Amino acid sequence: MKIFLTILLKELVSFFRSFGLVILVIYFFTAEVYVAANGMEIEAKNVAVGVVDKSAGGMSKKILSNLHSPEFQTPKFYKSQKELSDAIYNKDIMVGMIFDEQFEKNYYKNLNPTINILIDSTTASQSLMAIGYIQNILMKFNNLKLPVALKMHKLFNQNADTGLFMGVSELLSVITLLTTILTAIAFVKEKESGTWDIMLLMPVNPKIIILAKSLSQIIIIMLGVTISVGLILFQSLDVPINGNLLNFFILTFFYVATTAGIGLFIAAVSKNIMQISQLSIVIMMPIIFLSGAWTPIYAMHPLLQYISAITPLSYYIEGCESIFFRGTEFIDLLPYFGGVLILGVILYWYGFRKIGKLF
Amino acid sequence: MLEVKDLAVSHKKKLAIKNLSFKVADGEILGFIGADGAGKSSALNAIAGVIKFDGEILYNEFSYKSPKEAQKVKHDIGYMPQGIGLVLYKTLTIKEHLDFFTDIRDIKIDREFLEYKNHLLSMAGLEKFLERRAGDLSGGMMQKLSLVCTMLHRPKLLILDEPTTGVDPLSRIELWEILQQSAKEFNTISIISTAYMGEASKMDNILLFDEGEIIARGNSEQLIEEIKPFVYDKIETDKKHITISDTTYCLENLENQHQKPTLESLFFVNALKKDRLLPKLQIAKSKESIDKNVVVMKATKITKKFGDFYANRDVDCELKSGEILGLLGANGAGKTTFIKMLLGLLPLDGGELELFDKKIKNSDDRNKLKSQIGYVSQHFALYDDMTVRENMMFFASIHKIETLKAIKLIDNYSKELGFEKYLDEMPKSLPLGINQRFSLAVSILHEPKVLFLDEPTSGVDAIARAQFWELLKELKNKRGISILITTHYMSEAEFCDRVVLLKDGEKIADDRVENFYKKFPDAKSFEEIFLEYFR
Repeated sequence: MKIFLTILLKELVSFFRSFGLVILVIYFFTAEVYVAANGMEIEAKNVAVGVVDKSAGGMSKKILSNLHSPEFQTPKFYKSQKELSDAIYNKDIMVGMIFDEQFEKNYYKNLNPTINILIDSTTASQSLMAIGYIQNILMKFNNLKLPVALKMHKLFNQNADTGLFMGVSELLSVITLLTTILTAIAFVKEKESGTWDIMLLMPVNPKIIILAKSLSQIIIIMLGVTISVGLILFQSLDVPINGNLLNFFILTFFYVATTAGIGLFIAAVSKNIMQISQLSIVIMMPIIFLSGAWTPIYAMHPLLQYISAITPLSYYIEGCESIFFRGTEFIDLLPYFGGVLILGVILYWYGFRKIGKLF
Repeated sequence: MLEVKDLAVSHKKKLAIKNLSFKVADGEILGFIGADGAGKSSALNAIAGVIKFDGEILYNEFSYKSPKEAQKVKHDIGYMPQGIGLVLYKTLTIKEHLDFFTDIRDIKIDREFLEYKNHLLSMAGLEKFLERRAGDLSGGMMQKLSLVCTMLHRPKLLILDEPTTGVDPLSRIELWEILQQSAKEFNTISIISTAYMGEASKMDNILLFDEGEIIARGNSEQLIEEIKPFVYDKIETDKKHITISDTTYCLENLENQHQKPTLESLFFVNALKKDRLLPKLQIAKSKESIDKNVVVMKATKITKKFGDFYANRDVDCELKSGEILGLLGANGAGKTTFIKMLLGLLPLDGGELELFDKKIKNSDDRNKLKSQIGYVSQHFALYDDMTVRENMMFFASIHKIETLKAIKLIDNYSKELGFEKYLDEMPKSLPLGINQRFSLAVSILHEPKVLFLDEPTSGVDAIARAQFWELLKELKNKRGISILITTHYMSEAEFCDRVVLLKDGEKIADDRVENFYKKFPDAKSFEEIFLEYFR
């Protein structure tokens, strides 16, 4: 036990003394999560609109007055269609609207008035969203009597703020990447500096060395997660917590141990830190993409859906989103705990054996 | 003609070399001698124009003060950096190397050049191996090929950084023959650094480096003549002195027989002049009685293969208690592989190993013996991000030594081995000699019965090396520890009780030290004795 604690302490000391690594970990847990939450925008926001208005101007002004922030910038006016398309070409504006001479007349006479819309589709999702908004606005001016009225109730995230989801997803991805890399580094650093041989010659059960080393990295990650959840998720991003935070930390602990297993595997097959970074990217990127962090799993190809069922991250993400947003009770979280635990035991056992063979 | 005026080089504000001035004439071989970190490489790099420096360098009519200005003399310079085979490409053959260096130097291929090239190849004895890949060459052949490639464009100024370090004695002599011949034939200026004092006699002029300064200059006879009055047979005295092995150095007059000094003596006399006295290193006697002549380690026909390549082939070796066994050989002779197999860091591909009378078959057999073995790895690998004290505490705790006892032990050893000043510093910032002793202390914390040391004296200065050997003798005499040590310095054989000589993975000699001298009564040094085995 004393030996276990000695190794654990040594690993923590050497982590906190490697300045670069500490800064990197802090950066990933704070700035990276924050930037992902605020920088990645899928909704239309702050869209630049250009207008050519050949109509009398009454009706068009009414419509344009509905284009306001945060979705749209104040519309810019152009004299001709040519100027407008040039502006789109030069990326000055994203959406161009043309009201022709007949527009207002046709509107009052119910003669199918048309607005021509030019759109820059290089930013595909944003421009489609923008069209959606404009259509919604125009609906108000249509004198149609819709037989069905939609009344929307947004659950779990009342403002439909994607930033919150992005922040959480990014944190989970960061946990995944950092755990593998840090665990692998803890072992491979010794290979690089030549202390590996000395470690092998110590009269210590290798299992204790492996456990102590991986636990030390798990502790570091858990510290990072605590900082990130407190400072970034709750303080800056205002992520709600509808479930039990303790459940989140327990689930995270299991998940981190799982990923540490992957780290052990990588450490076993890498000779230097360079190889770690290459291997972790090759192994971890598919896991992150397939996990549902960026795309819902049900939207994937059926084959990929099966694969994603065996990535621990997919259970972890579902579990965490349930805890943060849906406020799910512990009993209903059990499938996620189960998924992470089962895959975790398999992965950690495999990594443990793989690195154990080097002793 | 090359003239260097007030050369100074600094690395990160630390002066590596200062106020270096000297002149070399055409056809002269100038040698830089000194320990690692004494500033030899910095000086060579500056002259080759590959790093920034202060001062001025005059080469014939050209003068340069920066790497940029040195560009105009580059076609006259042949530069070979430190490290075996560093300028070579492992997957290219010798012929492809020659073609590559011919093209990259844009050399006109005419009859004259072809003659010159063949002349170089035959000097180096490489003409028979043109189709062999560089990766398959021995260390000595690699260095000869590097030298040929460096000389292909007929440089007038050859700058070679430790071309012979770690190379077997025979190849070293051959390398020197090429250098001496080319100096004579082509009238080149050669500046060569070396870690081997024995090579000094082959140089026309020597600059002796110590801590970034030149402490002596002249040819080897002059240098030895200068310090003759300060070197005595071993004697006790109250005057300021340094005693190492059976020699006493003292600046004042002693009533004792004078001894013939060696070039190593220069460093001790210099230390005395600068008032750097050596701390007295002593190790407390262990209470247990020491039984001698017990076989501690017995290896029979040990073999290790990497692919088709035999790193060790049928090596027999025996280590008795209270014995210092030297495992000598050039780089790549299989010393480290052998020691790693003994330690169980590499599996055996053949042969049998017995430790403390027990056959070693699996890792369980080993685990029982781990507490009886101490190991110092090449380059003294310890944890860089922990201080000396923390490192020692860590290892003490791993060896289940009680905390209080550990603190006492650390205190004792740091005083005995003279590094108590450095206890709270990081290993990286320490001089190599201190690192060496601190690594030794770590390896004997748990009082092992046998100690394995892999190249502990490589790159360490002459004084620290001599001290280290004294320490090993103390350990042997007072603790009865058996020691197996590898080194590529053939001259260090004299400190051992028995020597095993390895060449290309095979044992070529194994005898007690005194017997070697009996076999070769005419030989002046171990270098010469071992040369016979390499021929």
